[in-house]
Amino acid sequence: MAVIDALTQSTRPGVGAGRAAPSERWGRLALLAPSIILLIGVFVVPLAIMLVRTFTDPHPGLENLTWYLGDATQRRVLVRTFTTAAKVTAVCLLLGYPYAYAMVAAGPKLRAVLTLLVLVPFWTSLMVRTFAWVILLQDNGPIQRALAGIGLDNLHLIRSNVGVIIGMSQILLPFLVMPLYAVMSTIDRRLVLASSSLGARPITSFFRVWLPLSLPGIGAGSLMVFISSLGFYVTPALLGSPSDALVSQQIYTQVSGLLQWGRAGAMGLVLLVATFAILAVLMLSIRRAARRQTRQAEDATS
Amino acid sequence: MHRLTNGRGRGALITGGAVAAALLLAACGGGSNSGSGNGSDPDLGSGPAKAGTVKADALKGTTLSFVSYGGIYQDGQMKAAMEPFGKESGAKILQDGPTDNSKIKAQVSAGNVTWDVIDTTNIFAGMQCGKLFMELDTSIVDTSKIPAGLVTDKCSVPAMSYGLVIVYNTEKYGANPPTSWADFFDTAKFPGKRGIQGATGDVDQGVLEGALLADGVAPDKVYPIDTNRALKKLSSIKKDLVFWTTGAQAQQYLESKQVDMELLWTGRAYSAVKNGAPYKPMWNQWMPLADHLVVPKGAKNPKAAMAAINYYLGAEQQAKLTELTSYSPINTDAKPNQDDLARSYLTTTSERQKDMFKVDNKWWSENHDAMVTAFTNWLNG
Repeated sequence: MAVIDALTQSTRPGVGAGRAAPSERWGRLALLAPSIILLIGVFVVPLAIMLVRTFTDPHPGLENLTWYLGDATQRRVLVRTFTTAAKVTAVCLLLGYPYAYAMVAAGPKLRAVLTLLVLVPFWTSLMVRTFAWVILLQDNGPIQRALAGIGLDNLHLIRSNVGVIIGMSQILLPFLVMPLYAVMSTIDRRLVLASSSLGARPITSFFRVWLPLSLPGIGAGSLMVFISSLGFYVTPALLGSPSDALVSQQIYTQVSGLLQWGRAGAMGLVLLVATFAILAVLMLSIRRAARRQTRQAEDATS
Repeated sequence: MHRLTNGRGRGALITGGAVAAALLLAACGGGSNSGSGNGSDPDLGSGPAKAGTVKADALKGTTLSFVSYGGIYQDGQMKAAMEPFGKESGAKILQDGPTDNSKIKAQVSAGNVTWDVIDTTNIFAGMQCGKLFMELDTSIVDTSKIPAGLVTDKCSVPAMSYGLVIVYNTEKYGANPPTSWADFFDTAKFPGKRGIQGATGDVDQGVLEGALLADGVAPDKVYPIDTNRALKKLSSIKKDLVFWTTGAQAQQYLESKQVDMELLWTGRAYSAVKNGAPYKPMWNQWMPLADHLVVPKGAKNPKAAMAAINYYLGAEQQAKLTELTSYSPINTDAKPNQDDLARSYLTTTSERQKDMFKVDNKWWSENHDAMVTAFTNWLNG
């Protein structure tokens, strides 16, 4: 959620900014205290233990990291994990953007229905949804049979990367639709009218006015989907082939199959650092785009 | 919102935080004193141990936790052995699961062992004998009725017996069924999809051995396994291979006819056939497997845990376990009451013993990690 705050605040400087009086600042800290203590106990401390183990188990040194970065199979799996996450994000954007727009454009009744359609799967257990996909996608399953009917035989929808992407996209779609909808619903739609009254064709209005204003939603939603994708375990395990394993499955192998916790720590560390690096690059570029936009807006008004 | 934090509210919040911290500390440190009620040296009676018995009320006030892999298997173990054991001995039996080797390691290395009797793989039991698991005391555990060759290390006894077997679709190959490992790998003579195990983090003994047997290696030359040769043989049919990751999935592949042949656990094959899947086992050179029962080092009450294992090994308990789960009994006196189909899947009969390929568990205990790594790399190659 911090991501959404950071991204949306950067375009709305009035909210949340400004210096608070000292007493207020203490008050805010006190509000945060229980959750900070909880996070330290159940997140920071275990993470620190994992870090220490990465460099000490079974011997002090960098052997776990050098093993991980030097192993061709592990590198291939890491790259596959990031490409899969990127593909899932792209699929979610392609499906989620028009959907969020439809939610904003719809009347209150239709909007309620559309919202419910996003939320009902979101409230359904991940296991249930994944098993439902297993039944739908399997060979001789309904989707395969329908496709065979129109001459598309032998598509590998399950036990393949395609199945994993289908399943993960469906599970993660709400994480893109909701932030997109939140941002789009704050966009002043008179701006689009204004642009068309100034002679812009609909497509120009969309690309020059609507799309830039919805960027924070795209950024926040995509990041949520992308980062969640990196850690998926159950869905790739059930819908994918073990030949298309992702990092989380490899970490499981080290933790539970081989009891190599130092190596598992190294894998987690590399994943974490890579994720933060991508996050940092994206945040910077989005902020810069947003700042440019505000500047343009200011130039236009002055 | 921040207007809400006047002086009083802030105090309450800070108190709340302190309480949360205290609770967390308690949760972290509190585990160590949650042991069994009475001492760890119960009186189990005199004389040599006899499988399937325990001195009445010898363990009153003791709590034991039994850990296995869940499903009908663990239900059967509880009903056939652990619950009656609790009733006779007076011990309170808890259950947990599924068995997770990393949790065993975490408990033993943290010195906070909450699991007492654990059902794990025979290879892991052998690998960790003396490390994570303690030797079983034969004055408490009577192993005399266990079929020959099934006790493979000093820390464990089998929990049941089963096997890895090839089954084939009778609708497809009924007239000319496969009869050997070579046929399983012959996709020209027997076209169709093959299911094998491709579980995350594990490889069953049997998959690589089967590839070598199919490649013409003599049964007594299979060990030490030539990994490259075995994986090369597997690669030759990789495009026809379908991987299962759990027993349930292996069974589901048969029931929905996703594969034409499959290498899977006998219990799962039986369940699928019983549910109407048109498959038949090919018993030539099937591979025996077993789960084993162990007591982790640092268990609060090892003698009570071993008494439970001794009770579990009884003829009556094993007969009932077989009736409930279809796995084979590991007591030679056990006489389970089963229908013909279920009986045909028993792996401890003399006929099956004749057909089997003997897996070298000792070799596996020493080479398990290398095999898992090689297989995982092959899968993702």
